[in-house]
Amino acid sequence: MSASRRLQALRRGGVGFVAGVPCSYLTRFFAACEALPPTAFLPAVREDHAVAACAGAWLGGVQPLAAMQNSGLGYCLEVLTSLHLMYRLPLPMLVSDRGAADDFEEHRILGQRTRALLDLFEVPWRESVIGGEEEEAEWLLAASRGRGGPAVLLVGPGRDS
Amino acid sequence: MTRAEVIAKVLGLLGEEDLVVAADGAIAREAYRALDRPRTFYMLGSMGQVASIALGLAMTRLERVVALDGDGNLLMGFGGLALVGGLKPKNLYHLVLDNGAYATTGGQPALSRQVDLAAVAAAAGYAWARRCHASEGESTALEQWLAATGPAFLDVAIGADDPYPAPRIPLTPEEMARRFRRSLQ
Repeated sequence: MSASRRLQALRRGGVGFVAGVPCSYLTRFFAACEALPPTAFLPAVREDHAVAACAGAWLGGVQPLAAMQNSGLGYCLEVLTSLHLMYRLPLPMLVSDRGAADDFEEHRILGQRTRALLDLFEVPWRESVIGGEEEEAEWLLAASRGRGGPAVLLVGPGRDS
Repeated sequence: MTRAEVIAKVLGLLGEEDLVVAADGAIAREAYRALDRPRTFYMLGSMGQVASIALGLAMTRLERVVALDGDGNLLMGFGGLALVGGLKPKNLYHLVLDNGAYATTGGQPALSRQVDLAAVAAAAGYAWARRCHASEGESTALEQWLAATGPAFLDVAIGADDPYPAPRIPLTPEEMARRFRRSLQ
């Protein structure tokens, strides 16, 4: 198992349930998730199911976290709006930041609008920096609990520490 | 049996501690009308996510989790069957109130008339999966379903017409979530 400082920081912050769909920008994070207890990690088949399961975990009294590629935000939109935002369920999210000009073209159209999409729904977001795991975990958990809803940490290439 | 009869029967078979996730639309409204309880989570949107929300609960809680799903709803989020069947939470009980139609939106036909949902659930890995046709002893089937080792899936046929539709639930979404969470503390 590869160690993930980010997962360790989030666990220390209280995360007890992780659901997501892998992204190559989050390989280390997902590898570490596989070593979690079986009831603490849900390898989902699509991102909307992952965030819906996170809502169930929150209702069950356990702090969830969703992790995915930014392409998955599209699948999630209905659930994030009619479940997390409407019922005010906190949901910290790790979302890969794909779609830069030198990235593959299938990532560019949604990837280059990720920030605008989050802004449209007033979802707080930040970009991860090297060595920022502890502080970013604290911010992410607090931001999701503020009004109660999703908050996003965008993880760019080389930030999967 | 009608939707109202099946829901009343199931809620009557549950204990206070059991957790319920009720599908958005007619099913949640009927569950509220039949027997409002703090440990029922009423969905208002997010069609297709009944099993996934129930799975998040079943993985984090020891209590029995009962998902009251619809056939159109399940078809929209078919991946949820793979998640439950693959992860096999023993405390998850999945019921489909199957009227073969999208009743909440005007009764348009659903593909559950062609697709055997229980066979799909069994193939996905549910420990117990049955289909119960109309007038085939629904009460017994419901009792057997709740007595089985989970994850257990029952597809029960109900009538398509809805002579006494239940009204909207007079709680805000925030109240619904807060009340549910508080009932577990």
